[in-house]
Amino acid sequence: MNTNTRKKKRVDQIVRSIFLASTLLSASFIIIIVIFIVMKGITPFITDNDGLGVVNIWTFLTGTVWLQGTAFQSNLYAVGFIIVNTLYIAFLSLLLSLPVGVLTALFIAKIAPKRLAEFLRTIVELLASIPSIVYGLFGSGIILTFVYNLAELFGVQSKGGNSVLATVLVLALMTLPTITAVSEVAIRSVRKDIEEGSLALGATRTQTNFKVVLASAKSGIFAAAILGIGRSLGEATAVSLVAGNAKSGPNLGLFDITTTLTSTMLQGLKETTGVDYDIRFSVGIVLMIVILLTNFILNAVKKRVGNVNVK
Amino acid sequence: MKKLLLLALAITSVGVLAACGGNSEEGFDTSKNITVYTRDTSSGTRDGFMNGIGFGEASADDSVLVDGFVTNDNTAILTAMTTDEYGIGYISLASLNNTVKGLSFDGVEPTVQNVINNTYGLKRPFNYVLRAPGDYDSPEAEAIANAFVAFLRTTDGSDVIMDQGAVALESSDTWDDIKADYEICNEDNSGVVIRFGGSDSIQKVAEALSAAFSPKCGDFVAEHDHTGSSDGFKRTQGSEKDGDNAKHVGFASRPFKDTEAGVEGTQGQLAWDAIVAIVHVNNDLDSVTAEDLKKIYSGEYTTWEDLLSE
Repeated sequence: MNTNTRKKKRVDQIVRSIFLASTLLSASFIIIIVIFIVMKGITPFITDNDGLGVVNIWTFLTGTVWLQGTAFQSNLYAVGFIIVNTLYIAFLSLLLSLPVGVLTALFIAKIAPKRLAEFLRTIVELLASIPSIVYGLFGSGIILTFVYNLAELFGVQSKGGNSVLATVLVLALMTLPTITAVSEVAIRSVRKDIEEGSLALGATRTQTNFKVVLASAKSGIFAAAILGIGRSLGEATAVSLVAGNAKSGPNLGLFDITTTLTSTMLQGLKETTGVDYDIRFSVGIVLMIVILLTNFILNAVKKRVGNVNVK
Repeated sequence: MKKLLLLALAITSVGVLAACGGNSEEGFDTSKNITVYTRDTSSGTRDGFMNGIGFGEASADDSVLVDGFVTNDNTAILTAMTTDEYGIGYISLASLNNTVKGLSFDGVEPTVQNVINNTYGLKRPFNYVLRAPGDYDSPEAEAIANAFVAFLRTTDGSDVIMDQGAVALESSDTWDDIKADYEICNEDNSGVVIRFGGSDSIQKVAEALSAAFSPKCGDFVAEHDHTGSSDGFKRTQGSEKDGDNAKHVGFASRPFKDTEAGVEGTQGQLAWDAIVAIVHVNNDLDSVTAEDLKKIYSGEYTTWEDLLSE
């Protein structure tokens, strides 16, 4: 009996240390990555970049032209307009994907018959696992043509469809499955008694779904929005295929070409050297800060929105 | 409320349908703006193109280009020209196909024959760079790398280059004529790994060359890792020459920069790559001059009328 307990305890301890080790491993990778990017990204601001001179942080953060002068011979980089573009695009794509995603989730969780719900859930999971390059190819093959023709319909000559609108559409498509999946879980975990209470008081199903179920799940839906916006802020490949990669801005017109922080980092990354290479890591730092701040703000809002006892 | 929703739905669906099927049939409208497509400042093709049209200052400087240009890669520019009737871009001659219209340059058609006879002017060099003599992990690797470079200048080598859409320099010797000078190729080299890298524009050509040469030189193992022109020098004689990505033979699809001057005799040209300006098949334009292209890319011509009325 005694030895048995001791044995169990030892196994417990071993398992616990394995967990601790794997946690430390994954956590240290994040720290290593952050340190690496910060160290690389900070060099343009503290060294003289092989005689080009230090990059000015203020103009870097507020400027409206990516690079003034000749590449490799100029240090006049700026991402101010790109920060605006990135947030603008993420916001617009959320504006599209959040309502559609939440309504889909509501349908799957509450309205659809069991078989159909099961089927739809699988499809959503499948969509969520499609790699971004596939969305990018779909975007450059289908969405660009669609946007080009749409613009023509409005009498606007777009640049081959490369535009804010195309980027927003691709990102909305990409974030849709994430938002649907997460808000579906939130909606499903709304307690039955709240719902039944509403129905018992004479509310219709639709009234209950919108006024009680969605309201109770809003914290979870907000979490879905945060995940969705994270994905749109961080997407590079698909965006660079449809954005047109503008070099100055900000670009707010729906049919204007645009660029985001990630697609700027990706452009020519493999073919460049020196400060033109290091500066992409600085853009990476800016991106990390932007994502961190956005998440922070959204989380603060989420807390203020409050929730009705949802797991 | 319901009716309003239905109405909105109807309007959007009509809009979507119209947009999907709305490819206009009215022909080419010359009053439209020219949409300019370009590669990124770090691209070798861009360097070759801008220098080729006498607009060298734009090879790495976006601010001298016309406002509102689109930046994209080779394939994306090719696909864009199948959609955008009023666009103009440039790609490698090897990528040209009949989904777009390749423009004649200074009156010369963009064909391989015209590059060989040196009448087609819009082209860039394909260069190689070896490690410094003695700076190899084994003497076998050094001997094979040198034999490989000799092979590039044989008729056997140029056949392979031409097969890949690039244009080889003139050569007269066959490999059989010169192989006696390279004894290493008579040995069994199946245990020797030769690492190739540098320009990804040259990747297809380089892979075909190593695949053709390996059986002629003791079946050495060729490893290709092409990451861009800058890495060609960097990973053979530059800052990464002793790193994990070190290469035996590097390639660059542009002239070597001043900062990339290697040990004498380790660098040279193996072929030409021609660049071609492309437009949509509906475009009325068939031929451009260097001057036209420069005026388009600098923003002097903003509509197709400006160019076609000249």
